[in-house]
Amino acid sequence: MSGLIPLTMREIKKWYRNPTFFIVGLLQPLFWIALFGSAFDITRTAPQYSYYILQGAPNYITFIIGGIATTTALFTGMFAGMNIIWDRRLGPLGRFLASPIRRSSIVMSKVLGATVRIIVQIFILFLAALLIPSGLILPKNFNILDVLIIAVTVLLIGIFFASLFSAIAIRITRQETIMGIVNLVNLPLMFASYALFPKNLMAPWIGNIAQYNPVSWSAIIIRTIIINGKLSQAQWNTVLNNFVYLLLTTLFVVVITIILAEKEIRN
Amino acid sequence: MYSVETYNLTKIYSNGVKAVDKINLQINEGEIYGLLGPNGAGKTTTIKMLTTALKPTEGSAKVAGYDIVKESMKVRMNVGIVPQDLTADEDLTGMENLLMVSKFYNVPYGKAKENIDKLVKLVDLRDSINKLVGQYSGGMRRRLELIMGLVHNPRVLFLDEPTLGLDVQTRSLMWEYIRNIQQIENITIILTSHYLEEVDALSNRLSIINKGKIVVTGTPEELKKSIGGDIVVLTFKNGKEALQATDILKTYKASRITELSIKIKSSDFSKDSQTILGILKESNLEPLRIQVEKPSLDTVFLEYVGRSLPDEEGDSDSRKMMLMMRRLRK
Ligand SMILES: Nc1ncnc2c1ncn2[C@@H]1O[C@H](COP(=O)(O)OP(=O)(O)O)[C@@H](O)[C@H]1O
Ligand SMILES: [Mg+2]
Repeated sequence: MSGLIPLTMREIKKWYRNPTFFIVGLLQPLFWIALFGSAFDITRTAPQYSYYILQGAPNYITFIIGGIATTTALFTGMFAGMNIIWDRRLGPLGRFLASPIRRSSIVMSKVLGATVRIIVQIFILFLAALLIPSGLILPKNFNILDVLIIAVTVLLIGIFFASLFSAIAIRITRQETIMGIVNLVNLPLMFASYALFPKNLMAPWIGNIAQYNPVSWSAIIIRTIIINGKLSQAQWNTVLNNFVYLLLTTLFVVVITIILAEKEIRN
Repeated sequence: MYSVETYNLTKIYSNGVKAVDKINLQINEGEIYGLLGPNGAGKTTTIKMLTTALKPTEGSAKVAGYDIVKESMKVRMNVGIVPQDLTADEDLTGMENLLMVSKFYNVPYGKAKENIDKLVKLVDLRDSINKLVGQYSGGMRRRLELIMGLVHNPRVLFLDEPTLGLDVQTRSLMWEYIRNIQQIENITIILTSHYLEEVDALSNRLSIINKGKIVVTGTPEELKKSIGGDIVVLTFKNGKEALQATDILKTYKASRITELSIKIKSSDFSKDSQTILGILKESNLEPLRIQVEKPSLDTVFLEYVGRSLPDEEGDSDSRKMMLMMRRLRK
């Protein structure tokens, strides 16, 4: 895959060079924090039940940060797909396809580029959440292993979405089409999940669907760790189960994306 | 061995359009070979097949000695392409674009840099090579595209309408660059164009292609000769004389073109003029004015395709396209 590294470098260069993309990308998670973390506090009307609603989290930001991180990955992941279509419309794709590089490296460079963005964004998100007053409160025994699990989860959900939207973009030639698809899937992915609300606040049918949503898996992993720090056996099992779902689903989507790219991408 | 050789190469698109119809080409090493044809003739489709972007429906081809279907990766390693559409990334500098493409071919950095510096000098882009491509003029972009196809020292270079949408001066500058590249790199160049002058100025040999078929092949001189030599226009004092002359010069395919003038064909008028004027003198006829039109590719095209190349129309088409692409980018 001699194309993967130069093409990924290109993605990253284009991102940090474009001031709007860069700044918007960094502001977005901060808006999320401001909006969902404080303006939208679901415990406000019933503070006496807040411990129950928030599953033991000391405040709403701590509860929701895993969900915001995941939603950030969802929104940035779609850039991977959009950028494939831009490359097709503006011409560079023609050059890539004429070169002796693997077709999948063209698509996977978008996935990696978007994943790098996602990781930087989420890093800023956590940093900001820790710094603001009454923001993220980490558990006492929060350790490096917890950081590692959260980082890998973020990596996986980033790859998952970037790959998903890239696969969708492989045969699409119009920007409008992918925007339509993105708009169609983003809301259900976001709201039919445990990213923003706990299951016990949802209508039962959505709550049930939500357990099959990768957004939920990632949100649950981060949330469980960030609320509890030292996990009980049951909590470990929850984290482990969700992690395995996320890992397998991501691998599956990546494999499909690579196969589709090798076979189907054209100008 | 030929640099490019095709056997009944054919492409039928999924919508049933037969864009290329049993094309047979034999292109020698070190040659600049022109594919001349109007818009929609199948030039781009042919180039796309030869550079492995499209699979042929039927037939086969070898490029740089490799089969375009069975050895497509080897073909890609050995050919350079300058497609009809612009391909450079506007958010990167010219240099960054060139280095990125070098990496696609695993050219080591030092060698890539050396090669790029040489190419950049060759097309006079040294002053702007570290600027973002988005700030380039149309001519600069085309020059960059030209050398983007050369960073890996290919043996065969495909140029698909390399001067599309450029003004006349910039176009002849591009021709100069293309000639220089051919000489310095000693490379085979296959060039498509719907500009007659371009193919005439650049190519050693050419094929005229129309509706997916090759109509005729030869050197520009051979093709010009093949249509029967010079066209001579003789103008007389009055219509009566002109009529008389038409009759006398039947063997030279004489025909009236205006009230006072007739047109004849002569394989080489500098040799035939004595005889022709002699015949006329016998009947006491003397033309007032003699114009000799050397055959051009224009006349060749007219002869073989049955109509002129719609140059103006093509021009405005490509200009529209360039405008559109600009707008898209903004
Ligand atoms: N992707 C495509 N699908 C269907 N028809 C096509 C496609 N590309 C080109 N054609 C048709 O094939 C013919 C040849 O096109 P092309 O090779 O682009 O000609 P040229 O480069 O000589 O202008 C045209 O009639 C064109 O409309
Ligand atoms: Mg064309």
